Amino acid sequence: MLSSSSSGGSLRRWAPWVLIVAASIILPAVLPPFRLNLLGRFLSLGIVALGVDLIWGYTGLLSLGQGIFFALGGYAIGMHLSLNSLEPGQLPEFFGLYGVKELPAFWQPFASPLFTLVALWTIPALVAGVLGYLVFRNRIKGVYFSILTQAALLVFFNFFNGQQRLINGTNGLKTDTARLFGELVGSDAMQRNLFWLTVLLVVAAWLLCRWLTRGRFGDALVAIRDDEPRMRFTGYNPTAYKTLVFTVAGALAGISGALYTVQSGIVSPQYMAVPFSIEMVIWVAVGGRGTLIGAVLGAVLINYARSLISEQLPETWLFVQGALFLLVVTGLPDGLVGWWRQGGLQHLLAMLGRAPRASTYPGLDLDPSVQAEKSSFLSHPPGGEP
Amino acid sequence: MTALLELRGVTVSFDGFRALNDLNLSLQPGDLRAVIGPNGAGKTTFLDVITGKVRPSEGQVLFRGRSLVGISEHRIARLGIGRKFQTPRVYENLTVRRNLELAVSRRSPFALLFGRLDGSAQDRVQHLLRVVGLDPQAQQLAGGLAHGQKQWLEIAMLLAQDPDLLLVDEPVAGLSDEETDRTGQLLRSLAGDHTVIVIEHDMEFIRNLDSPVTVLHEGHVLCEGAMDTVQKDPRVIEVYLGVDDDHQPQP
Repeated sequence: MLSSSSSGGSLRRWAPWVLIVAASIILPAVLPPFRLNLLGRFLSLGIVALGVDLIWGYTGLLSLGQGIFFALGGYAIGMHLSLNSLEPGQLPEFFGLYGVKELPAFWQPFASPLFTLVALWTIPALVAGVLGYLVFRNRIKGVYFSILTQAALLVFFNFFNGQQRLINGTNGLKTDTARLFGELVGSDAMQRNLFWLTVLLVVAAWLLCRWLTRGRFGDALVAIRDDEPRMRFTGYNPTAYKTLVFTVAGALAGISGALYTVQSGIVSPQYMAVPFSIEMVIWVAVGGRGTLIGAVLGAVLINYARSLISEQLPETWLFVQGALFLLVVTGLPDGLVGWWRQGGLQHLLAMLGRAPRASTYPGLDLDPSVQAEKSSFLSHPPGGEP
Repeated sequence: MTALLELRGVTVSFDGFRALNDLNLSLQPGDLRAVIGPNGAGKTTFLDVITGKVRPSEGQVLFRGRSLVGISEHRIARLGIGRKFQTPRVYENLTVRRNLELAVSRRSPFALLFGRLDGSAQDRVQHLLRVVGLDPQAQQLAGGLAHGQKQWLEIAMLLAQDPDLLLVDEPVAGLSDEETDRTGQLLRSLAGDHTVIVIEHDMEFIRNLDSPVTVLHEGHVLCEGAMDTVQKDPRVIEVYLGVDDDHQPQP
């Protein structure tokens, strides 16, 4: 009995990993490049969603401005790719349109790949840390925090939109014609590698978030979410916790934005559009707050559904998204994963008249002699027929 | 001997309304003090001023001779002042054990991330679980506990903090008689090693505490003394029962 349950436990533990490895080997072989690229993009959105789950699902900070950090990561890699395939002395093409003769100083370090790899998550993290510290220190929370983050998002959006001479303004930076390691970024082979990189980083981000949320640190986050004043009176300083976790979410958003950029072929101020940041919250709500895996699932499912539905019926997507959000808010407050974990499937089956077997004594269901007795009992109920 | 806690002429006014009005109070280490008063007497504001939630507009709050005015709540808590709230406030989405583990942990985020709970801290958690009789519920979510159990869990969390000064706001509200007796015993046993202030409405409970009583009225100390003397004080009877011109209390 003991050995069977422990082998069942290890099976449960290893099955998801086996599935992930198998999928990341099989999918690139069977999916057409276009679909694989879509999947890679949506998986990379899973990373920003993990950050949203960390700050909203666990800590109760509903940020509507994660697009800032997402776009900053995207611009970091976009600037590097604009520079790295140039001849010496050449400038990225768009500068010519605005009569800029010399590379702006803040572009210079992005010529270095190493700097870019560090900057694409440290810059968003830094911005998130400073913004977060100022907001949390002043005890701005709840709806005021949400409004403030959205306002910050708009400020960044307008700034990036208006700066043609610095970062090509509203047109953004194109990356798919750039070269990385001598290979075109937009090529199928490169996109397949980027898909694998994305899978790897999603898993790494998930492991990081799980490590953060599983132990006492995660307990402290939940406690801050549920009763912040109580935490203060026990000697905890919520500002430190919130700032830290908001910084981590910023870094994750930056990585996510960079991966999304190289797989979409462009970074533009549209990444800081207000609806996009709100959608991030919807992905997490639909997948399930405070579950981590639900955030990734929500991001991938909703975006894949959107692209499939939009291909067939372009006008209907917004209605579907709205309906989905309403369904989750009214019917599935813990999202898909929360519903699943609370035995939602069994409830649904029961509602459809296919009630599952009672599992009070699962051993009985497996015992052949009990089953034989049960079936003979059911076919000839004692005293059933007069 | 210097007082552990001293309030000197503390006044708190909210838009002109004086929740506390020239309040003076002093506690020696090891004291057990009960604070009573009718609704709106300023009992909870009194705790808010000590714990840093509310800043006094006038006066001084001294803890071991050090001023607490202007220090943030979590720093005051780390100086050794613990507080139990009026309604039981436990972290409902954490298990009972994890509630207590948070209370015994070091407070910095990095200590929680990288440090492990050492053996003595784990022993303390286990000990407290047994003291409050929640050992069987250790793995349950605190939100699922009965009201009395939540009260006890919160008291256990307060003890886990090991503060020098315990501020206990209505510890027996909603408890059964037996639970009330046990709470009283617990608080009495804490005095001596700790300094305890208890705010309570339950007069029987206060009487059983057998400690000096401070009566608050309109943000001011009305009188202090043993329960029996305080209850005979005509001013106390007046604020509790109310007097008007037609119905003078019997002499």
